[in-house]
Amino acid sequence: MTVQRFIFAIDHVSTWVGKAVSWLMLVLTIVVCVEVIKRYMFGMPTAWIFDAENMLYGTLFMMAGAYTLAQNAHVRGDFLYSSMRPRTQATLDLILYIVFFFPGIAALIYAGYDYASYSWHIQEHSNVTADGPPVYHFKTVIPIAGALVMLQGIAEVTRCVQCLRTGKWPERLKDVAETDVIEQQLEHSEYVDEESRKIAIERASQIDEEARQRGMGDKLT
Amino acid sequence: MSDPALGLLMLALIVVVIMMGFATAFTLMGLGIFFGFIAFYVPGESWVHNKVFDLMVHRTYGAMTNDVLISIPLFILMGYVMERGALVDKMFYSIQLAFRRVPASLAVASLIVCTFWGIASGLVGAVVVLMGVIAFNPMLRAGYDVRLASGVITAGGTLGILIPPSVMIIVYAAVAGESVVKLYAAAMLPSFFLSFLYLLYIIGWAMLNPKIAPPLPEEQTKVPVPAGMYQFADAYSQNTFVAILKALLSPGRASKIEVDGKRLTYPALVKNLIIALVPFWLTAGTLGTVWWYVMIYTQKSIASTAEEAAGLQQLGSAVVDNTPTPAEMGPPENFLMWFGICAAILIFFMCRYYYRVNVEKFEVLKLLSSSVMPLGILTVVVLGVILLGITTATESAGVGAAGAFLLAFHARSLNWQKTKEAVFLTAKTTAMVCWLFVGSALFSGVFAILGGQALLEQWVLALNMTPVQFMILSQAIIFILGWPLEWTEIIIIFVPIFLPMLKHFQIDPVLWGVLVFVNLQAAFLSPPVAMSAFYLKGVAPKHVTLNQIFAGMMPYMGIVIVCMVIMYLWPGMTLWLPKYLYGN
Repeated sequence: MTVQRFIFAIDHVSTWVGKAVSWLMLVLTIVVCVEVIKRYMFGMPTAWIFDAENMLYGTLFMMAGAYTLAQNAHVRGDFLYSSMRPRTQATLDLILYIVFFFPGIAALIYAGYDYASYSWHIQEHSNVTADGPPVYHFKTVIPIAGALVMLQGIAEVTRCVQCLRTGKWPERLKDVAETDVIEQQLEHSEYVDEESRKIAIERASQIDEEARQRGMGDKLT
Repeated sequence: MSDPALGLLMLALIVVVIMMGFATAFTLMGLGIFFGFIAFYVPGESWVHNKVFDLMVHRTYGAMTNDVLISIPLFILMGYVMERGALVDKMFYSIQLAFRRVPASLAVASLIVCTFWGIASGLVGAVVVLMGVIAFNPMLRAGYDVRLASGVITAGGTLGILIPPSVMIIVYAAVAGESVVKLYAAAMLPSFFLSFLYLLYIIGWAMLNPKIAPPLPEEQTKVPVPAGMYQFADAYSQNTFVAILKALLSPGRASKIEVDGKRLTYPALVKNLIIALVPFWLTAGTLGTVWWYVMIYTQKSIASTAEEAAGLQQLGSAVVDNTPTPAEMGPPENFLMWFGICAAILIFFMCRYYYRVNVEKFEVLKLLSSSVMPLGILTVVVLGVILLGITTATESAGVGAAGAFLLAFHARSLNWQKTKEAVFLTAKTTAMVCWLFVGSALFSGVFAILGGQALLEQWVLALNMTPVQFMILSQAIIFILGWPLEWTEIIIIFVPIFLPMLKHFQIDPVLWGVLVFVNLQAAFLSPPVAMSAFYLKGVAPKHVTLNQIFAGMMPYMGIVIVCMVIMYLWPGMTLWLPKYLYGN
C-alpha cells in the first residue's frame, strides 16, 4: 500500500462519516419546523424536543470534526503560514501535531470514555425536563468523535512526513468549497460577458489561495 | 513560576502558535490540557485522576448542549441555500435599472446588492469575487474612478459578517452569555446605518465630482420593454396601472396583443395586476405590522401577564418579574403622531408612484419583484419573527432554513447537487466554529483557574482608566488583532478576556459587542492586510493595482470609524431597539 493510498483511505473514512452526519442538519431543520408548527399553531409543545435538537446538533458538529480536518477547513491563522514554503509548513505542522494535537485529542478520548462509560453505568437520563430521554448514547459521541479526529490526525502527520520527503503537499480528496458558489452563480449568468465569466470560474480557488497569502506569496507581486 | 504568570505564558504562547498557522481549535486544546494539568496537579495523586480531564469533557459536553450555538448550523444552512438559490447577477441588473437616474448608479446598485447579500450570507471572499465579476468590470468600462469602484465592492463585501442574521453575533452571544435576539436587535440599526453612510458617501462624492462616475450610455440604461407592452399602453392608457385595471374590465383588446410571444389572456392580466400591487402590499404590510405590534400584540400580552400575576403564587416559585418592557407599557408618547407622519410620507410616495407608473417603470418593478423580493421577504420575515420575540432564535433559524429551501425550489434554482453541497458546507463550517468553541472553553477555563484572568484585570484596573479610555484601548487591541486573524478567533479567544472588565467600567456588553462587530469591519478594510482587497485584485483587470484598491478602501475605513464614534456618542442608536422590545 503506498503512502498516498493510506492517507486517502483514512480521508475516505472521515469524509464518509462527516457527510453521513451532515444530513442530520436536514433532520434538525425539519424537527425545528414541525415543533414550531405544533407549538404555535396547535399549542402542543413536545417536552423532549429540546434534548432531541441538542443531540442532533451536538452529534453533527462533533462527528464532522474529522471530516473538517480532512478538508483542512479548521480555521488557522494563515497570515504567515500560507506564505511559507511547503517544507517549512510541514515541519511546523509536524511539531505542533505531536506537541499539541495528539495530547489534546488523547485527553479528549480518555476523558470522554470515562464520562460516557459512567453515563452508561447509571443509565443516565436528561434532567432538562422531568423524565427526559436517555443521554448515554449522546455522551458516547465524545470518545468516538475524538477517535475519528485522532485517526485523521495520523493521516495528517503522514501528509507532513510525505511533504518533507517530496517538498510538495500530497493531494486532498476533492470536495465542495465555499468558492464553488462563484461558478454556480456565474454559470447561467445572462448579464456577464463570456470571457470574464470563464476566467473567474477557472481561477476561483486560486484567487482564494492568493488572497489568504495577502500578497506575501510569490505568485502575486 | 507562579500560577498567574503561567496563565500569561499560556496567553503569549497561544498568540505565537496561532501565528505559526496551526489549526487554532487543536492548539487551544493542547495548551489547555498542558497548563490545566499543571494547575490541577496534586502531589501524590495518580495522573489519570487529574481534574483537567473532567474540566475538558464537561466543557465539551457544554458546547454540545449549548442552546445558543445550536442556531449556528441552521443560520449557516440558510445562508448557503440562499447563496445558491438567489441569482445575484439578475439582482444587480434589476437594481441598477431601478436606480438608473441616481448619480453613480452602478456603485449604488453594488452597495445595495452587497447589503442584501450580506443578509443572506456571511462570506467575504465569495461576495467580493462575484461582485468583482458582475459589477467591477462594468463600472470600469463605464469610466468610473478605480478607487470608487474598488472601495464600494470591498467595503460592501465585508458588510456580510455584520448584518444580522450573522453567525458572528450568535458566537458573541454564546461567549458573552447575552441573548441572541437582544444582540440582533442592537446590531440592526448600526449595520444599516453603516451601509447608509457608505451610500451617502458614494452619492455625495459623485455629485460633487461627476467626473468620477460618468452617467451610463443610453443603451445601457434602456429598460428592455417587450414591444407588446407599448401596444398595450397605446390601447388602454399610458399609465400602466390604469391600463391593467381597464384591461381587466374589457379584456377584448388586450387578448389580441402579444407580449414575449404569448397573448395577454385574462390570467396573464391578473398576474400583472398582482405585480403592480407589490408597492401597495409592501407599504400596507410595513405599516400594518408596526401598528399590529405596537397597538395590539403587546397590549394583549400585557393583559395576559396581568391575569397570571393576579392568580395565586405557587409556594417556592420564583417571584414573577412584572415590570413590563417599554413595548408593553403601551404605545410610546407621540407614537400616533410619528406613525401618522411616516404613513403619510409612505402613502404619498406610493400614490406618486402609481400616478407616474409607465411601461418602463412597470418592467423594472417586474424584474425587481422576481429577483429581489423573495430573498427580501424571507429575511424580513426571519428577522421580524426573531426580533418581535414571537419565536426563539433557534426556531426562527430553522424556519428560515426551511423557507430558503422552499424559495430556492420555487425558483427552480436548487437541484440535488446544490442541496448536497449546501449541507456538506454547513457541516464543515459548523464543525469549524464549534470545535473552536470547545477548545476555547477549555482554554479559558484553565486561564481563569491559573489566575491569568485576574492578573490581567488587576493590571487594567491599576491603570485607573476612565471608561472612555478603556473603550478606546479595548477597541484598538481588537482592531489590531483583526489584521492577521479571522473573526472566529477574535470573538472566541480574545473577546472573553475583555468581557469581565466591562462591568467594572460600567459598559454595556451589548453596546461593546456591537462596537466590536463594527470595529472588525474597519480591521478587515485596513491596508495592507485586508483580504477583500486581494480577492478583488484576483478578478480585476491587469491595469488595476493593489495600491489603487487600497486607496479606494481607506475612506470606507474612515467611515466605519466615524460610525463607531457616532455609536459611542449616541448609544441610543444601538440600545433603543433592544430596550424597546425587551426592556432592560
